[in-house]
Amino acid sequence: MKMPTRTAASALALILGTAGFAAAEDVRVTVAEYSSLTGPYFEEAAAAFEEQNPDIDIQIEVVPWDVLLQKLTTDISGNANADLSIIGTRWLLDFVDSGIAAPLDEFMDDEFKGRFFEAFLSPSMMDGKTYGLPVAASARAMYYNKDLFEQAGIETPPKTWEELSAAAEKIAALGDETYGFGLQGKEIETDVYFYYGFWSNGGELIEEDGTSGLDTQAAYDAAAMYKSMIDSGLTQPGVTSYSREDVQNLFKQGRVGMMITAPFLATQIANEVPDLNYGVTAIPSGPDGARGTYGVTDSIIMFENSEHKEAAWKFLDTLFSQEWRSRFTGGEGFLPVQGAVADEPAFADNEVLKEFTNLLPDARFAPVIPGWEEIADITSSAIQTIYLGEGEIEPTLNDAAARINDILK
Amino acid sequence: MTRKMRRTIWSWLALSPLIVLILFPFAVMFITAVKPAEEALQSTWWPSTFQWSNFIKMWGNTNFGPALFNSVYVAVASTLLAMVVSVPAAYGLSRYRFKGRGAVQQFLLVSQMLSPIVLVIGLFRLVAWLGLLDSVESVIFVYAAFAVAFSVWMLQSYFSTIPADLEEAAWIEGASPWQALIRVFLPLALPAMTVTAIFSFINAWNEFVIALTMLRSQESYTLPIQIFSLVAGRYTIEWELVMAATLVATVPVAVLFAWLQRYLIRGLALGAVK
Amino acid sequence: MKRSALTNPYILILPGVLLAGFIVIWPLVQITEIAVSEVNRFGQLRGFAGLENFVAVVTDPAFLGACWRTFIWTVAIVVGSIAVSMPVALILNEDFHGRGIARIIMMLPWAVSLTMTAIIWRWALNGESGMLNSALKALGVIDTNIQWLAQSSTAFPMQIMIGILVTMPFTTTIFLGGLSSIPDDLNEAAQLEGASPWQVFREITLPLMRPFLNIAVVMNTIYVFNSFPIIWATTQGGPANSTDILVTHLYKVGFRFGKLGDAAALSLMMFAALLVLTLIYVRLAMREDKS
Repeated sequence: MKMPTRTAASALALILGTAGFAAAEDVRVTVAEYSSLTGPYFEEAAAAFEEQNPDIDIQIEVVPWDVLLQKLTTDISGNANADLSIIGTRWLLDFVDSGIAAPLDEFMDDEFKGRFFEAFLSPSMMDGKTYGLPVAASARAMYYNKDLFEQAGIETPPKTWEELSAAAEKIAALGDETYGFGLQGKEIETDVYFYYGFWSNGGELIEEDGTSGLDTQAAYDAAAMYKSMIDSGLTQPGVTSYSREDVQNLFKQGRVGMMITAPFLATQIANEVPDLNYGVTAIPSGPDGARGTYGVTDSIIMFENSEHKEAAWKFLDTLFSQEWRSRFTGGEGFLPVQGAVADEPAFADNEVLKEFTNLLPDARFAPVIPGWEEIADITSSAIQTIYLGEGEIEPTLNDAAARINDILK
Repeated sequence: MTRKMRRTIWSWLALSPLIVLILFPFAVMFITAVKPAEEALQSTWWPSTFQWSNFIKMWGNTNFGPALFNSVYVAVASTLLAMVVSVPAAYGLSRYRFKGRGAVQQFLLVSQMLSPIVLVIGLFRLVAWLGLLDSVESVIFVYAAFAVAFSVWMLQSYFSTIPADLEEAAWIEGASPWQALIRVFLPLALPAMTVTAIFSFINAWNEFVIALTMLRSQESYTLPIQIFSLVAGRYTIEWELVMAATLVATVPVAVLFAWLQRYLIRGLALGAVK
Repeated sequence: MKRSALTNPYILILPGVLLAGFIVIWPLVQITEIAVSEVNRFGQLRGFAGLENFVAVVTDPAFLGACWRTFIWTVAIVVGSIAVSMPVALILNEDFHGRGIARIIMMLPWAVSLTMTAIIWRWALNGESGMLNSALKALGVIDTNIQWLAQSSTAFPMQIMIGILVTMPFTTTIFLGGLSSIPDDLNEAAQLEGASPWQVFREITLPLMRPFLNIAVVMNTIYVFNSFPIIWATTQGGPANSTDILVTHLYKVGFRFGKLGDAAALSLMMFAALLVLTLIYVRLAMREDKS
């Protein structure tokens, strides 16, 4: 269908004898699959772009999130990587250190930079250079089920972890099939679910001296708090078999009172269970009023070995135009990363999103350190051990901290 | 007759626990697949209504058609390729004693011990080096190679049970080796070849890790990858669609089995004529 | 004897050996090269490392546990599937009404790809929405939901059970092939002489089944040792690595943590372990055959 235009264009190029236009340029783009909408969205954006730029051919490669890093690793090791790719911003340092990601500053002008919120652009800046553009951004907030709250006689959503415990107790007392606090204990972001409590207790993932903060009082307290909630039946049973999606499913069924997760749950609820009466509020604070949400961005990077940097950049310019950003952000349920998009009524008047954006000043991003995935895995394992009651809190966390320090060295 | 009847009852009774266990996942698959989306998460057995439209929705949402085509193409082509090179090799190994025969046999056994996961980094580099990334053909090539070791092994042990005298008799009667092979040997070997081909087809149909590494665009995905992508790292899992997809992916093979079943038994029986 | 390509064994085996060799040896050489090199996060080689990668693998605290569980996993499934498949094959070898259907049912687990089987079981074993719990509840076996995948004490046995279930069709097929090669008159003669079914099985069937048993043991050991999807799709080796076997550990080290040098070293060690085990078994089996 697109062929005629493309052939015509290349024929024209041949006649004019402009060498640079002689052949259609292939730009390969690896994208992570966030939902069933991701693939079609990028295909559409590519088609629209090709219409405008008949000399460039965009190839979209959709990869499931779980295997994205594996695929990138094999691709790069086999020298077969694409020109552009979505990556978790938390992996970026590894990419920059190995000279794989190309700095984008030479392409960017002030107008382009000005499209983004500073807070979302800064995680992908290193040594004064920008290596990635935030493509998906989200923060975490607490969802609560208003109906369950009403039944349990709770009037306002909890502001502190202590209040949360009390609320969870009342909700858990409602019946065998309802649980107070949904606690994630399996797979991706198990560690993050622990950090909410950890940060509220004043903990820092990486201490000022560059070592892990898991062997501090804040970590012990947070672990003790979660463990006691598990032991007194305030969470769903068997937390270590619940991935984030599993806990979300319980919430959608109206069976947990509270859970902490990302804005995309609101999008899912609107599509799947529009009648669910829920609210979104800040993550509870700790005894000293400290709190923290997890800010996470995924970035698009350009590969240093790409032979089509100019063409790839052109596509990025289209992708980060207000029109395409707005469609992506709305469709997937992410937070706007651009001011112009955030000002659109669909986002500006969205009560749920507001709760999330209000939390952004407290947002903590994954620290810029190498080997983040391994550190996250060590942390998750330690926490699972504690949740299961198979290890004492302090020795387990100290041991994990020691192993993390080995990596940080 | 009564004796057979009694045996029938005992046999089915003895098999029944296993049958329950085997059919259980199929029941889970089927029931979840026809549940309305809002009921999928409830653990009730029966859906309030049978929502057949899940299948249509699944077909549209999950790129199922092309993935099914790729899977069939990969499984059939790799099986054919594997058989074309394995049958002569197995014939040679079973009919002749020659220098290096033991070494070849050992090599075949050893090459079966390498799991795709163990080799995947190296395999990926090989395919990238050949410039075959993201082509379904590269997967066919790799599957066929992995199937060769197993097929030669299987075929060889079956071929050894077919007496060489039959072919020699044909030679004496003036038939060329080719004629002897086609008229005498192949008819006897065909059942064993079918069985081996089925093994190789199934392995290709099921394979996951290699396809995951080599194939990178949705157009080239095989079924296991396509279905895995519906549950892996998505922000929400639509279980009823996932189960509808697995069900549709399973039915062709199950039917194939039912159809080949008589042939399979005969193959197993004939292949072992002593 | 007439000369022809058909009478030259070297020509006959050449294509097969070339194809298998190309796909196996080339990557193996690559992996060996990576294993003794310093490798960055993305598998790009950065100089010679000697045995460093191997040392790193062995000193990883998760390694020993994974070794031990791989042993349990492999032995339990290989032995378990033989224990299940032998009686099944004996029954299916008898003539009874509906045998064709029974054979089809027994082959069914094979028709589902392993990845899909694992996904289905992950769903069926879900603590709250899973249909295993609701089935057991309806039957009155349990009162409260069991969180099957929450701890290794329930998750691992379940995974082994699934493993046995999917290994059973292949094993049964091999055994059926073996049983059909035993002449019926041999059994009948023994029965006429007054041997009990058990005696017939032990004295006649089992010895004749030996080669097929050996095939089943060797092939299944290889497959099960390297089996990835069941554990990965249900628990990803968790919680706290308590269901990790070497293959899932390898995948994590290589692709999640990006330590490709360690992963390559581990690959080689696993290959060597399997090689040694299988060769020992083949030797033993051959010696028994001869005696």
